[in-house]
Amino acid sequence: MSTLLEVRNLKTHFHTRDGIVKAVDGVNFSLEAGKTLAVVGESGSGKSVTALSIMRLIPQSTGVIGSDSDILFKGESILHMDDAGVRAIRGDRIAMIFQDPMTSLNPVYRVGRQIGESLVLHKGLKKKEANERAVELLDMVGIPNPRDRARDYPHQFSGGMRQRAMIAMALACDPDILIADEPTTALDVTIQAQILELMIALQDRTGTAIIMITHDLGVVADMADDVMVMYAGRQIEAGSADDVFYRSLHPYTWGLLDSLPRHDVSEKGILMPIIGQPPSLINVPPGCAFNPRCPFAKDVCRSTVPPLVPIEDGHSSACLFSEDPAFRRDSASPSGEVA
Amino acid sequence: MTELLRVNNLKKYFPVDQGLLSSRLSRKVKAVDDVSFFVTEGETLGLVGESGCGKSTTGRCIIRLLEPTDGTVEFADQDIAKLRGRDLKAFRRDVQFIFQDPYASLNPRMTIGEIVSEPLIIHGIGTNNERRSQVRELLETVGLNPEHINRYPHEFSGGQRQRIGIARSLALRPKLIICDEPVSALDVSIQAQIVNLLSDLQKEFGLTYLFIAHDLSVVRHISDRVAVMYLGKIVEVGDWKNLYDSPHHPYTQSLLSAVPVPDPEKQKSRERIILQGDVPSPINPPTGCRFHTRCPIAQFPICSDEEPELRDVAVGQRAACHFAKSMPIPLEKACSTVVGSCAETA
Amino acid sequence: MSDPKDAHHDAHNPHPHDESRFEHGDIRDVAGHPVKDQAQLLPVPPTDEPVAAGGRTLWGDAWYRLRKNKLAIAGLIWVIFVILVTLTADVWVKPVFGDPLAMDTTLGANLQPPSADHIMGTDKLGRDVFSRVVYGARISLTVGIIAVAISVVIGLILGALSGYFGGFIDALIMRGADVFLAFPYVLFAIALIAVLGPSYRNVFIAIGILGWPSIARVFRSSILSVKENEYIDAARSMGAGHMRMIFRHIMPNAVAPIIVYGTMSIGGAIITEAALSFLGMGVQPPTPSWGLMLSDARPLMVRAPWLMLWPGFAILTTVLAFVLMGDGLRDALDVKMKD
Repeated sequence: MSTLLEVRNLKTHFHTRDGIVKAVDGVNFSLEAGKTLAVVGESGSGKSVTALSIMRLIPQSTGVIGSDSDILFKGESILHMDDAGVRAIRGDRIAMIFQDPMTSLNPVYRVGRQIGESLVLHKGLKKKEANERAVELLDMVGIPNPRDRARDYPHQFSGGMRQRAMIAMALACDPDILIADEPTTALDVTIQAQILELMIALQDRTGTAIIMITHDLGVVADMADDVMVMYAGRQIEAGSADDVFYRSLHPYTWGLLDSLPRHDVSEKGILMPIIGQPPSLINVPPGCAFNPRCPFAKDVCRSTVPPLVPIEDGHSSACLFSEDPAFRRDSASPSGEVA
Repeated sequence: MTELLRVNNLKKYFPVDQGLLSSRLSRKVKAVDDVSFFVTEGETLGLVGESGCGKSTTGRCIIRLLEPTDGTVEFADQDIAKLRGRDLKAFRRDVQFIFQDPYASLNPRMTIGEIVSEPLIIHGIGTNNERRSQVRELLETVGLNPEHINRYPHEFSGGQRQRIGIARSLALRPKLIICDEPVSALDVSIQAQIVNLLSDLQKEFGLTYLFIAHDLSVVRHISDRVAVMYLGKIVEVGDWKNLYDSPHHPYTQSLLSAVPVPDPEKQKSRERIILQGDVPSPINPPTGCRFHTRCPIAQFPICSDEEPELRDVAVGQRAACHFAKSMPIPLEKACSTVVGSCAETA
Repeated sequence: MSDPKDAHHDAHNPHPHDESRFEHGDIRDVAGHPVKDQAQLLPVPPTDEPVAAGGRTLWGDAWYRLRKNKLAIAGLIWVIFVILVTLTADVWVKPVFGDPLAMDTTLGANLQPPSADHIMGTDKLGRDVFSRVVYGARISLTVGIIAVAISVVIGLILGALSGYFGGFIDALIMRGADVFLAFPYVLFAIALIAVLGPSYRNVFIAIGILGWPSIARVFRSSILSVKENEYIDAARSMGAGHMRMIFRHIMPNAVAPIIVYGTMSIGGAIITEAALSFLGMGVQPPTPSWGLMLSDARPLMVRAPWLMLWPGFAILTTVLAFVLMGDGLRDALDVKMKD
């Protein structure tokens, strides 16, 4: 398994008038070819900014990536590449699809042309060839009458179809990595099911690695091989999907899993929300960012930032108590020191 | 158990072509097309469906934010669709609305104290001091610190703002609260807080809820009964357990199978019914059964000619389908994944 | 921290003080995991501090942003300076620099270039240019502000009716506005003054009347966008009447663009006044007005360029100051206060 992407100590901070927003604060992970990594977190967790940092789409005026951070694509550093090098990778080797299908497509250009754009740019195809390929791609993503639809404008497409068009656009150059930032959040659930199904099928066929950014644990369960949970710009847990769902080590993950209502479990359980609200990224709580909301927090949690430490094979957690085998979801007892 | 709300044959059509010169035959968006249901006092009826199904429009018609095109809405023995003036205002004391967007539903230039006390001021309840103390009490009830009564909405987080909206809706001690996607705009960990809060308030104040949402899991959790809408019509209604355990209408079945479950083994081994295509336009809904264009078990000509009525399919459960059955749909009839040509060339 | 209401305890736990039910694994969370401890079922305590500090209103925030805009502040300072100067003119200009109306017919006293006696020189009738410029400012500012005030009052009322009620009233008012806007502005002003008679007062009436359509339009569109917000629906669903809706909810939120537009319009009104006076349709001699001064200076452009420069410069800086202020206000008020 070749490692396509390696992210080392990624820190992305934004300088605003209210202070420094530590959107991403020390993230490490790697992505293998053909695998799907889910980056899970709520709003403000830093998951989108991580993706934008990989694509070097962070606005230069306010965003600063740490000098000791690095992102290696096939061994080469993206952060230290010149602009031309990054543009060569963007769209060609690493492609991204965004959340809002309404605004992600340019309304004044025909869909076929937009899909073909990256082919023209990266593969040097002529317009005619690019158009042909665009029609093929539209077919591949399941749009009926692709030849006619390629000549349509985005407003003539429905939300689900626009997202398919975006996927077609992203996959046009057969990239190694597809970054999908909440691709189905704005879609109805039946359309979401179609799109996820499509992505899985396409991945089987093309072998593209996928980074799936989402807050929806159901989507994660559906698609992910590996999972990375983020909170307040930091990774708090990482491992395989089975590890994170069935053998989770971090109280925040437990909280997330416990607070989800289920429609497939026969009895109505009690919803156990995580108390409090997500922290400000300017004034991150000292020590473990989750400590004000953690039912197991002790004094040491307020003074030490827990590092992400491997606990079991391939499964890491950023909680000071994870190493204790008695500290698990079914058996841990709250400290009673709730903030 | 007394019935608190009964909606009969509610219709809401929006004209597509506006303007002085549009003809009467102009096209209409049939957002709600003959919807009937009832809500018993003290219960929570969930109204669920995807975008464009008409659930929000239904809610807004009941509270008269929109004028129904046709049909009656009976609340406490009055047809509120016809109320005007002072009677309409009196009705507003009994039925309140919680909005979806915690950012847009609070006037940014009013303090939260002013926001929560506004219903009391409009209806002339209490003196200034009495109102103030009632507002403080309401804030505490929803889990906010009453000391923050003079702060502005932008100083609060999304979840807190939603609590402010809830406090506001409680001010007049209504009997019925229509919740329109109250947690959809919130983070997952906060959603559970608000859902629990709504449950608690229901018990504490004896409220009745019409809970409108697209998130099937949340709706199931809070509702006693659930109605599923598609393209302006109710396709199935029943109590929460039976509807989710044994849905009879093929749309309900597809909907439930489409919602991913946060459990990898279960999710990957589940039977999935993937519907083809997009939701048709409510301007020109399909003839006969509206779902027939995407239905995995549609049979012709009956499904495209005859509109099915809501009829009993099980105890306390009704579905609008000619072929409703609770058995899982046979796999060979289910729509395959939509990567058609891909499969051929793979 | 105030105690959570005890009623909440009951809602969560049917038997608040019976711990034994935990032992049997009867109490389960939504995913079916047994809940072991009373503490895990604690209700949500009152949510803690609001996210932002201080009771900052939106206006306060806007002021803060405005303060940081140097150009806007420069404009503001200049405007305040000019206003102060004109208010106090009688005190220090006349005695020191001379009466703007005092002609000096001694030979050689006229058309003097700037000197120690007359810092801006004298005009063709021997009058001191500096004091004429200062007194001219009175005319310009008064016309500018009063004319815009008239426009704003008419425009706010008509725009509010139009935006709030919509339908026929809206159509009527907007078509009326269109009619006004169809005429060339300056020609219409001249025609109005021809009817009313050229005078100082009629200038600001004319400009005021002509300015309402733009203000009404801007206000109407601002109202339409405010009406999209759910808090408007919320007020209506509570039974708020028209008056309350307009004055409590719509006006305060819709008025911001008018502040911007009005400020910038003052600059426009000053120029229009100058133009009208230049054409002889405005202020009549010997009252000093920048426009009149320009008109008088035209034939003497080569011989006595300072006669044109000073009033021209005055118009330029004053109008620019208002425009910069308006610009700054727009930036300060425009930022939406979403998190």
